[in-house]
Amino acid sequence: MLLKKPNPLWSFFSSVKLTIVLLVLIVLIFIIATFLPPQEAAQEFVQQLSLGTAKVFFFFRLSDLYHSPLFYALMGLLSLNLIICSINRFPASLQQYKAPYFPEPAGIFDNLPQNQIIIANKEKSTVSLAVESYLKAKYGSVRKIDTKKGHVFYGERGRFSLFGVYAVHLSVLLMIAGAIIGSIFGLAADINIKEGETINVVNLAGGKGTHPLDFSVRCDKFTVEFYENGAPKTYRSDLSFIKNGQVAHRGSLLVNHPITFEGLRFYQSSYGTAPEIKAIITYTISRNKSREIVLAAGDTLDLPESKAKAVVLRVEENIMELGPAVKLRITSPQKDVQFWVFKNIDEIKTANPGLLSQVPIFNPGLFKPLVFSLNRIEQQYYTGLRVVSDPGVLLVAVGGALMVAGLMIVFFWSHQRFWVRMEQEGTKIRISVAGRSNRNSAVLQQQIDNLCKRIGQELKA
Amino acid sequence: MNHLMILSGVTFAYFASFVLYLFRMIFGKEFWGRAASFLAWAGLAAQTLALLLRWKASYDRGMGHVPLSNLFESMIFFAWAIILIYLVVEWRTKNRSIGVFAVPIAFLAMAYASISPDISNRIEPLIPALQSNWLTSHVVTCFMGYAAFTVAFGCGLLYLLKNMEKGDKEKPSGFLGKLPSLVMLDALIYQSIALGFIFLTIGIMTGSIWAHYAWGSYWSWDPKETWSLITWLIYAIMLHARYVRGWRGKRLAVLALIGFVSILFTYLGVNYLPGLHSYLKS
Repeated sequence: MLLKKPNPLWSFFSSVKLTIVLLVLIVLIFIIATFLPPQEAAQEFVQQLSLGTAKVFFFFRLSDLYHSPLFYALMGLLSLNLIICSINRFPASLQQYKAPYFPEPAGIFDNLPQNQIIIANKEKSTVSLAVESYLKAKYGSVRKIDTKKGHVFYGERGRFSLFGVYAVHLSVLLMIAGAIIGSIFGLAADINIKEGETINVVNLAGGKGTHPLDFSVRCDKFTVEFYENGAPKTYRSDLSFIKNGQVAHRGSLLVNHPITFEGLRFYQSSYGTAPEIKAIITYTISRNKSREIVLAAGDTLDLPESKAKAVVLRVEENIMELGPAVKLRITSPQKDVQFWVFKNIDEIKTANPGLLSQVPIFNPGLFKPLVFSLNRIEQQYYTGLRVVSDPGVLLVAVGGALMVAGLMIVFFWSHQRFWVRMEQEGTKIRISVAGRSNRNSAVLQQQIDNLCKRIGQELKA
Repeated sequence: MNHLMILSGVTFAYFASFVLYLFRMIFGKEFWGRAASFLAWAGLAAQTLALLLRWKASYDRGMGHVPLSNLFESMIFFAWAIILIYLVVEWRTKNRSIGVFAVPIAFLAMAYASISPDISNRIEPLIPALQSNWLTSHVVTCFMGYAAFTVAFGCGLLYLLKNMEKGDKEKPSGFLGKLPSLVMLDALIYQSIALGFIFLTIGIMTGSIWAHYAWGSYWSWDPKETWSLITWLIYAIMLHARYVRGWRGKRLAVLALIGFVSILFTYLGVNYLPGLHSYLKS
């Protein structure tokens, strides 16, 4: 209403031609983008290009078209176009919504096909009652007016459907707004956590640095299971979320089942094996066996019984063809010794009697009175987590629901209006049925035919 | 009886149905059309049974999932949906002409699924990413959408064929005389596209919700996502051109063909691009 003057900019943005051109351009950008190498491979791709082509490639940010200024500009124009088109058309829709029932559109009863005219051989009041009650049952409410030519009845349905298209357009804007909010205020990061490891910093996606967390996350265990055919069955990370030194939440993270903690969502996204191997060892001191201790190369272990400290120098899967072994260095105020602990120490001793006294470095009991044993070694897994917070999701979801509702209204409803006129023609009553609809004329015709048929039946009864 | 044997019977039934629709077109006798419809309905019933049997078989083997989890299963479902939507249209319009375009597509999908050496018809257990309740709603809505667009494509072809001969008033007989009117074909194209558009919209959204739970983002610009959006936009352009600019008839028919090419690329072509939707690669 404010901009009634034919502002050229306004009329440019309110044109549906522009919408179609913009949509075609966006489609073309998407097609190009899906055929270009993904961002990770772009570097390699560019090296094969000539200097000029490479410049063009970077100018349009072809490595990541979906986040390029070109794409943003098109989306901005599309949003503007959508808003202005809707504002421009809204008054007309409102006028249609408020359209008076009477008088009926001029000439609506002229040249009606035969089947839309019913001749009744009954009392006027009987016919009037029958028509009125039928319309009322069918359309909820019925309006009536007396004209010089006779009664005219009016029934309608789907008046609200005039606004379906605005619901769809609004939903697109809501989703765009949600996406913008998500990209500005959202966070997407990745982190690999080894079993037993605790982290409190995550790596922002796209190499944008790191982000500290207000809490820490420990991976207690990572499990991968396979089907018989070798396909993966389950990836599961058992996580502990630690706040102020205390475990605040514990949970198993599975694909399709994210865990939310303090507004951040954690997703199981990948896994792998860490380069180092874990050794599971125990030691005995005067017949008391310690619990199982999990150690990797570089780890230290306190031995309070001897006021000593052990450092794991190496963990080997198979050393000197003698099987798995760890090399320990134990330091105490009195001593500093290094020795190997073999998993198969019993077999080695049997095969080589006297070995331990000849080669003390093979003696797991070299640091007396402790005797170490290596129970097994294990591959160490790490779990790859995706960490996300996206405050725009709600808006996008609302937009999505609104879009489906709007589309249903647009496609399955129309504003159908029916006028039924009764005229006295000698001793008979002439009933004319006519209708108007904002779209779907085929459905309207069906409705009119049906209406005529039912009125005919009603009058016979 | 094994469900795979039923499916090969169904493939044959669809082929025979196509041949009969062709006879109807050539000889102009409705008898052939009735036989064609009967075979298509019988094929649909048998295929429904086969799908249920396959579903049950997956439970018997301790995997327990809907038969919608790989390329073979999706193709079979695609064929099923095409026949279903086509038969509903045939029943509603009381006209069998579109059958000669819609039924062979379903037959080709069935045949390709069973013959191609790259497509395994084994029942496989679900990998972790597919273990979701969203699998069914996502795949069903997407493929109902694809199927509705396929019917629109059939109507579009028919429109162009009829339109080609329009000026030739001398021979309205035979097949072309039996075709639905151009106005009706235009309405059918529009209605199938409207139905497909709603299904595709819901399909993209259920996919988005699933991605939100599985990958941590409702939209990742994976090529399949992008191509589904391309398809969606092509049909959105078509709907705007019709509503606001009044495009009808020939232009709409041509757009229905373009949309179908986009569907095919979204479904199959995309698998040759790198991306996250790799379940369909074999």
